[in-house]
Amino acid sequence: MANLRVLAKRRRSVRIIRKITRTMELIATARFKKAMDRAHAATAYTRRITQLVANLVHGGVEIDHPLLQPREETNRAVLLVLTANRGLCGGFNTNLIRAAQQQLNELRAEVPEVSVEVAGKRGIAAFRNRKIDMAEQFTQFEDKPRYDEVEPIAQRYLDAYITGELDRVDMVYMRFESASRQSVAVETLLPLGGLAGSEEGQAEQDVPFEFLPSAESILEEVVPTSFKVKLFKCFLDAAVSEQIARMVAMKSATENADGLIRDLTTLYNRARQSRITSEILDVIGGVEAVAK
Amino acid sequence: MATTTENIGKVTQVIGSTFDAEFPEDCLPSIYNAVRVDSEHKGIHVKLTGEVQQHLGGGRVRCVALGGTDGMMRGQECIDTGGPVQVPVGPATLGRVFNMLGEPIDGRGGVEAEEYWPIHRDAPEIAQLSTKTEIFETGIKVIDLLTPFVRGGKAGLFGGAGLGKTVILTELIARIASAHGGYSVFAGVGERTREGTDLWLEMQEAKIGDTGRHVIDQTCMVFGQMNEPPGARLRVALSALTMAEYFRDKSGADTLLFVDNIFRFSQAGSEVSALLGRMPSAVGYQPTLATEMGLLQERIASTDRGAITSVQAVYVPADDPTDPAPATAFSQLDAFIYLERSISEKGIYPAVDPLASSSRILDPQYVGDRHYAIARRVQNTLQRYRELQDIIAILGADELSDEDKQIVHRARRMERFLSQPFLVAEVFTGKPGEITSLDDTIRSFEEIADGKWDHLPESAFMYVGPIEQAEEQAKKMEQEARA
Repeated sequence: MANLRVLAKRRRSVRIIRKITRTMELIATARFKKAMDRAHAATAYTRRITQLVANLVHGGVEIDHPLLQPREETNRAVLLVLTANRGLCGGFNTNLIRAAQQQLNELRAEVPEVSVEVAGKRGIAAFRNRKIDMAEQFTQFEDKPRYDEVEPIAQRYLDAYITGELDRVDMVYMRFESASRQSVAVETLLPLGGLAGSEEGQAEQDVPFEFLPSAESILEEVVPTSFKVKLFKCFLDAAVSEQIARMVAMKSATENADGLIRDLTTLYNRARQSRITSEILDVIGGVEAVAK
Repeated sequence: MATTTENIGKVTQVIGSTFDAEFPEDCLPSIYNAVRVDSEHKGIHVKLTGEVQQHLGGGRVRCVALGGTDGMMRGQECIDTGGPVQVPVGPATLGRVFNMLGEPIDGRGGVEAEEYWPIHRDAPEIAQLSTKTEIFETGIKVIDLLTPFVRGGKAGLFGGAGLGKTVILTELIARIASAHGGYSVFAGVGERTREGTDLWLEMQEAKIGDTGRHVIDQTCMVFGQMNEPPGARLRVALSALTMAEYFRDKSGADTLLFVDNIFRFSQAGSEVSALLGRMPSAVGYQPTLATEMGLLQERIASTDRGAITSVQAVYVPADDPTDPAPATAFSQLDAFIYLERSISEKGIYPAVDPLASSSRILDPQYVGDRHYAIARRVQNTLQRYRELQDIIAILGADELSDEDKQIVHRARRMERFLSQPFLVAEVFTGKPGEITSLDDTIRSFEEIADGKWDHLPESAFMYVGPIEQAEEQAKKMEQEARA
């Protein structure tokens, strides 16, 4: 029979782990709600901006913005990967890193110069482990990314794109679809290809707008903003998805720990019982033998 | 023997498998002497041998019956044979099957042996013991790598019910005895009679290398199986051992002694112990547990004249290796193979626990630095994997660090690679048995540990010989998946 002391020790350690996972689950649930509210708020704004662009386009303006034009030759690309700063969120980081690795391989096959930028300590550690050089590392994004933190990154891409130092920006992040559904998304952010024809933009196309001072000048302003907002939205999505992933992972971890504790308790009780029984038997046997 | 000088007594009491007899006070039979009962009363013929265990005083002796005591009654005559049970030894015993008294039970008539030896003998003296230490290759990867056998040493196969002790033992007989020039002795102690018959038939078919001779021609077998009374099970190992000792001492050849199952020896001892009036000791075992085991095991030794290499199966009651019977046997052995239920549940056979098993000669001094280093690396990896198992069970494998993931990845491959198709299991698995040389084994594990085979799927490592076969198996699996 297994050693009682060893079993008790193992059970204790599982109990401690369970306490941690249970707490993490509760924290993740609270944070998830907050993050989701932020994401929802941002969604309204993003939709509006996209609509505006669509309206502009349908307002008869000929689209002629550097950000919207695909490059004939792609020489330099950036792959931005959004991972979490912390672990204990199931397959969240692993899936992102795997997708990023795959995208990186594909990019490298097409584009001569690819630089990698990673947000999140987990991703940074993973890429470092795979000996992949990272151009930029961000660790400041927690569950509440701020617009003014994301904006400089977006601005840097825009500037580099316009000056021709950068031809393409790809992004790997966890897209938030619904509370029960998140998926790894690999998207090309620059050039802003699908902006004009996006579905959401179609909604109010019959309403005629009048643009002042001119549609072009507004476009000049709106297109970069639209890119920034889109990037910000990705960060928000990633934050929400991370909390959901952690919540789900910690919930199942707690359940697993419960199961393990139950099994260990059964084993422990059985071992204890059989030890007691054999000791009683020994005593009785001894008494009987002496009595003879 | 029917002379007037015979020492005749009378049965005074029969209790289960022991009986008391009264002899004239001045000519009591000595301890361990065999006494025979051979008489007929009311149409019941009783033929029985007993072994004197105790002198009770008043001319009475207490004996253990070496056969069934059915039909025995007080007043029956019993004859002191003047010495312990004697069994035939020598070349005449080869190819034959005996019971514990040395009587052939294979239905091929009598045995004309030149010599008969008593089954109670002294262990070889210290000065005669051989001090050579040499590795004994079996061609089984897990054994050669982690629990190398000692030539002229003792190896034990420990395991609970149904983990494959007998299969491994049979496999070893098939591997060692068929490649081995010397003699083999098999002792069936308290196991299923059917298994004994199977083994006997198998030995008649199996050939030694390419000499054309059958394994059975070089083997003698002694059985005292489950159906026998405890006295027979208690002494059958000694009978077999005596035959093996003859080969060692007289022919000087390397002799193999297989015992299945040494636990039954202790068990039989405990069955008669209370009847002999001894007070039960821990867990109800006889107080003389260690003495009995010591007397037996000390005789299984290699001397400067010849070597006995022995492999013993040891049943572990309730999978508890701390039970006194297996624990006593454990201390006598050079190589210790522990079969683990959780491994057999994964379908990995032989279900050897790579962490609980050990060998005295797994030491750089005997096996060399490379072998030792790799064996330890394999054990460390598997040990770490086992430690991580709780974490994996709770949090999932995704939460492990990259180093730990790699350890788990390789450990799972090593774990599977420790399985191996057996010669004797070919009829069940459809896979021919695999004899892997020690060099191949060491190289294969080294390459797995170095990560050379990380790309192969786990299932490719199941039931193969050297690592190249895993590669082949992976290719085959890929083709099948495509088709």
